Amino acid sequence: MPTLTIDNQQVTVEDGTTVLEAAEQLGIVIPHFCYHKALGAVGACRMCAVTVHEGTFKGLKMSCLIKVEEGMVVTTDDAKSVVFRERVSEWLMLNHPHDCPVCDEGGECQLQEMTIASGHGVRRYEGQKRTYNNQQLGPFIAQEMNRCIQCYRCVRTYKDYCGGKDFGVMGSRNRVFFGRFKDGPLESDFSGNIVDACPTGVFTDKTFRFKSRFWDLQEAPSICPHCSLGCSTVPAGRYGELQRVRSSVNEKVNGFFICDRGRFGSSYANHPERPRQASRGQWKLTRDEALVQLDSKVRELIRQHGPEAVLLLGSNRASLETNWMLQRWAEKIGCRAPLLSAHLPRHLAAQVAAFDLADRLASLEKIRQSDLVVLLGVDPLAEAPMLAVALRQAVKKGGQVLAYDPRSIELPCVFEQQSMSPLQLLELLDQDKSPESGRLLDLLKKAESPVLVPGGDLLGAGGLLRVQKLAVVASNQTRSCLVHPVLAGPNSFGCGLLSLPEQDDLLTQLESGRIKMLVCVETDPLLEAPNGERFAKALSRLEELAVLDYLPTLISAHTKLFIPTSAPVEAAGTFVNNEGRQQLFVPVMEPRLPIAVTGSGSHPPREFLPEAPGSDPRPAWQLLQQLLGEEVELAQLRERMKTAVPRLIDFDKLQPGGVFCRVSDADERSCYADEISAQPAGSLQLVVSPARYGSDLLSRFSEKLKPRFTDACLQLHPQDAAERGLDDGMKVALKTDCGEYYLTLRCVEGVATGCAVVENGPAFPQLVPGGKLGFCQVAAGGRHD
Amino acid sequence: MSTLQLLFKNRRAGETVFMTGYKATGGYQALEKALTKMSPEEIRTLVKESGLRGRGGAGFPTGVKWGFFPADAPGPKYLVCNCDEMEPGTYKDGELLAADPHQLVEGMILSAFALQTGVGYIFIRYAYEQQAGYLRKAIEEAKTAGYIGKNIFGSGFDFELYVHGSAGRYILGEETALLNGLEGKRPNPRMKPPFPATRGLFGRPTTVNNVETIANIPHIVSGGALWFRDLALTPGSSGTKLYGLSGHFNVNECFELPVGIPLREIVENYGGGIRGGRKFKACLPGGASTPYLTAAHMDVALDFDSLQKVDSRYGTAGVTAFDDRTCMVAATLNLIQFFARESCGWCSPCRDGLTMMRWLLETIDNGQGTVEHLAMLKDQLENISGNSFCALAEGAMGPVAGLLNHFEQEIVDHIEKGHCPFRK
Amino acid sequence: MAQEEKIDSIGLLDENELAYFVAHANELEHPREMVIDVLRAIQKNHGWVPDEGVELTATILRLEPIEVEEVATFYDKIFRRPVGRYPIHVCDSICCWSNGGQELAEQFKQQLGIEFGQTTEDGLFTLLPSCCLGVCGCAPAVMIHQQHYGPLSREDVGELINRLRREASA
Ligand SMILES: Cc1cc2nc3c(=O)[nH]c(=O)nc-3n(C[C@H](O)[C@H](O)[C@H](O)COP(=O)(O)O)c2cc1C
Ligand code: SF4
Ligand code: FES
Repeated sequence: MPTLTIDNQQVTVEDGTTVLEAAEQLGIVIPHFCYHKALGAVGACRMCAVTVHEGTFKGLKMSCLIKVEEGMVVTTDDAKSVVFRERVSEWLMLNHPHDCPVCDEGGECQLQEMTIASGHGVRRYEGQKRTYNNQQLGPFIAQEMNRCIQCYRCVRTYKDYCGGKDFGVMGSRNRVFFGRFKDGPLESDFSGNIVDACPTGVFTDKTFRFKSRFWDLQEAPSICPHCSLGCSTVPAGRYGELQRVRSSVNEKVNGFFICDRGRFGSSYANHPERPRQASRGQWKLTRDEALVQLDSKVRELIRQHGPEAVLLLGSNRASLETNWMLQRWAEKIGCRAPLLSAHLPRHLAAQVAAFDLADRLASLEKIRQSDLVVLLGVDPLAEAPMLAVALRQAVKKGGQVLAYDPRSIELPCVFEQQSMSPLQLLELLDQDKSPESGRLLDLLKKAESPVLVPGGDLLGAGGLLRVQKLAVVASNQTRSCLVHPVLAGPNSFGCGLLSLPEQDDLLTQLESGRIKMLVCVETDPLLEAPNGERFAKALSRLEELAVLDYLPTLISAHTKLFIPTSAPVEAAGTFVNNEGRQQLFVPVMEPRLPIAVTGSGSHPPREFLPEAPGSDPRPAWQLLQQLLGEEVELAQLRERMKTAVPRLIDFDKLQPGGVFCRVSDADERSCYADEISAQPAGSLQLVVSPARYGSDLLSRFSEKLKPRFTDACLQLHPQDAAERGLDDGMKVALKTDCGEYYLTLRCVEGVATGCAVVENGPAFPQLVPGGKLGFCQVAAGGRHD
Repeated sequence: MSTLQLLFKNRRAGETVFMTGYKATGGYQALEKALTKMSPEEIRTLVKESGLRGRGGAGFPTGVKWGFFPADAPGPKYLVCNCDEMEPGTYKDGELLAADPHQLVEGMILSAFALQTGVGYIFIRYAYEQQAGYLRKAIEEAKTAGYIGKNIFGSGFDFELYVHGSAGRYILGEETALLNGLEGKRPNPRMKPPFPATRGLFGRPTTVNNVETIANIPHIVSGGALWFRDLALTPGSSGTKLYGLSGHFNVNECFELPVGIPLREIVENYGGGIRGGRKFKACLPGGASTPYLTAAHMDVALDFDSLQKVDSRYGTAGVTAFDDRTCMVAATLNLIQFFARESCGWCSPCRDGLTMMRWLLETIDNGQGTVEHLAMLKDQLENISGNSFCALAEGAMGPVAGLLNHFEQEIVDHIEKGHCPFRK
Repeated sequence: MAQEEKIDSIGLLDENELAYFVAHANELEHPREMVIDVLRAIQKNHGWVPDEGVELTATILRLEPIEVEEVATFYDKIFRRPVGRYPIHVCDSICCWSNGGQELAEQFKQQLGIEFGQTTEDGLFTLLPSCCLGVCGCAPAVMIHQQHYGPLSREDVGELINRLRREASA
């Protein structure tokens, strides 16, 4: 731990720290461009020069490259360094078009900041500037190469860090060009990160083009609601429109970057059909009227038919606060405890994560550093995209990634893939049943920091419990074998944590006929529960259906009583991510109709109203508070919740936008036991996988993501197809317990034999991932619908 | 003029010597001696004692460099010969290979044995396709003779040698850029450390040496260290050197002469004076990146140390002469144009700083310069020097420093007259 | 497997060359080291490297096209745009410059009626400035298809052009 002096201040830092990082610890920001904490130092821009007075190498040196030494003396503000940095600025600005007035980066541009910080103010160079033709890079990213300062950060982010393959650096001398081989949409699922990485306006968010200046945006630290990882983000809104999302730093979770689903999947908040007003059928209601009707109807039915008559339904899209308040409301009105998920198997899996795995959960950071990660029935790019980027970092550090899956999986790194049907996967986990088990256990035992990554959807609760046993066997006194379970939604873990051990199935309940009224809070069982068709039938037998939501889902549109809630970006709340990290988000903006809609884009609006149009939605937990007749501050509500659920972290220890805390471990609980149903002869195992885009409802309702939506298809191993006399591209009939569907066949080598894979997404919402092991029949036969 | 010819001993105008001719003058005897009678370690020591300094431009003592090489480490290791030779004014390696390719081949096998590297690459510039052809032929001959392949001279030492072509960029001469180029990657220089000796080609220990450096090894093995040191004219120097003459000399040829020969000898004797009976004004003593010498330097000995003392560099010993009609501003502009165009584009001082400098020199050369431009030129020189990622931009500062040291008055004349005093 | 599928060289490489490169790509631990060789072979056959040539190189060496493009666009002597049958590289570095290189370039421009970077209408000649060609003793010099010509006088230029014209029509 050497001690050194920077600008007359002493600091003691870890061995191997660079002078730039050491200065940062003192609060001294040394200007830089090419250095980036995630990408490392490459010494290209030369902006970070400082003067070393005492040390092995004296003189003007690049602070991002030199390592600290005991007794080193460095100045950052001496004349030599200051002049040199000014020159670097001058050089970098040589070709710059000075088009800041029309540049989207304006106001949040590192080049602007550094140019001012360096003192370079007047252009002296009067020679020719080099100019470029730009490329069309698809719907998400705009390119303006004339603004480039060649820090190489885009290519280091896109290619080196995230593993994208279709982006690079071409040309040389003062004519290097960053782009694709040819025009065309960027293919990586992490393409948006070059917007954040670029220190100037070369790569900007095309969906946000010319919408706002940075300083006019309302921003707040937030948690991405698009999968169970809970990456840190900063969404930004203006004039009632959620205009963009950028990544934020959480070194335990996402690190510095996010995926395109999280970045470009935010426009659900501005969906043109988003219901913003309370209603009963055709009748518009005020929020208060609607709440009164809800309350009285619930009470009336309980009075008439007993506590069984009313069922409250929470969800993994809803915050911890909302789900907990729902439980409290149930207590108050005396109905049975709410179900916190319409999808029981997914919920049971989340419970295993929240209870049985709680003492051995691994963060993404642990994965990035692991020497052996084993994926068990999880397709990262579809279920938890940033996990894929974390795996790449592990591999880059020399780690190994092994994937057992029925699907053909892609990852942005080298890995070993073994095709395995869901049944074979369970056998693998049961140890000694499969020859591969022995090898797997050996590898795990030999590894220094092994992490198992099971997919909750594919393995279910039973599978996760087997993973837990495997992890125990693979652990020893010096280190534990950790687990990173991938779950269904942003608050699956939270819902698992809150709910009681015994759970039953919503559908069975509804079909029993005892239930007269269902209250859905931020969930649509028709889209989010398995077997939507049976659901639809069961729902029609209800006397009353109430929905509180912010999405224009099927059920929102057809419900009797509807009350609008605010979207996650408009509310404060808490999500607990898949590894038990309790993370807060705060409202970015108020709910209301965007000016673009109400004022046809002009501002100020022509009509002056006391309240902005479309501003009715309230956070669901607030509505529930009103129903409970309480009115306490969020902080107090959280305090009560913490007392009621002791495993939660003290809320005053947390900062919004990602934290370094994980809920505490659980006590032993009685374990869940599952049975594996026997496979009917001639059938295939059915694997329903989420599509990369549009499987989670938020991205499905995000207009911006439409270009990434894919067509529906059914995938079989060519051998299985041949046995059935089927050819690639044929129309086939898929017979399942939930119904019969007609899909186009694709023969894929990587699919495990004996399996049929379909993707749940906008093009095929009928089958939902997760659930008991299912079987199906596939035969030729198209029907023209 | 007869001085001892080692590297050029087989050189005859318009001819290339292959195996028969090469062996006729003692070729491959050093290899046989080394592989049958010497240990790798002994050869490394010999090279160290010989005082041989790298002929690629930087002049790093070869024996010291080899001393850092983990010759005894297991696993693949590489020897790479740098025949990029793209610095203007430098054409000696091309001449050597056109005359006598086997010298390099023998040197490569010998050096590989000394360093215990199983694979060698000769990285050769695009424009030397003819020489590349000669090398391929020489390698085939050496294979047939059993000098390349398995168990050479029964020593148990195996060696494979490949010729690898380039496609034309000066930066490939920089050794780490060369390694990237060899690997088929973008040839930007690599960060040092790690040095190639630890992590070089394909991440393995690698030594990069110049053609002439390696061609000297057989002679050192045959003649011994002391003999080699004595070949030089100045104390502390050793060996002979290939001097490529160009520019305004009467004779623009390549000569093998002792290290330490005075500039006057080159100008008056070998160069045959300045063309058209004009006066010698200045020269680049060792390629485009070396600061100018002037008529005042006629008695300076051309060797690494003596030239450093007069703020110049020995470089590659490619001597480019300028007569008294040459505008040194224009000459420097031409040189900067070269460096700016050959920048790899990685670091700002080079990619953009050289562009800035080119514009300043252009402005002054056009007669549109002011005293501010002169001040800016000095300021750019000061800030680029020592601050680029690799030595390319550093080298580019050589002629600018020379210009400001010896010919500042010419710049002032441009500014005051409003046009180039050498042009009408 | 897809890898084993026969590669179509679309006339950019002949059968032997293609077979040679494919065999080596399978043999070498780092096939990428051949990228310049393949590009140069394509250029030799086709005069320059079209987009398809970059893609073909990528297929042979199992790279992404952009990885090949990153390298191809770095080098001066790989042409990513059409050039004439005889690209003339006129050296403009210091030794040629000091021996009338600029006048030589003017001479070429005049006689061919084109500027640097242009190709004559008959598609025979492209004029390109080049850095030092490594024949500083023979300044001023030019290079055509890796052949050097120098020192060249005014008269030599016309003769050289005529010779190449004759060669082309033969
Ligand atoms: C821009 C640049 C160009 C260079 N070009 C060459 C070259 O063409 N040939 C060469 O041998 N060394 C060249 N060098 C020097 C090499 O980097 C390296 O020092 C040399 O090959 C080592 O060999 P030596 O020790 O035998 O001289 C160049 C260096 C730089 C920075
Ligand atoms: S000095 Fe910088 S830009 Fe120039 S060649 Fe070296 S690394 Fe490239
Ligand atoms: S940040 Fe140090 S050189 Fe760019």
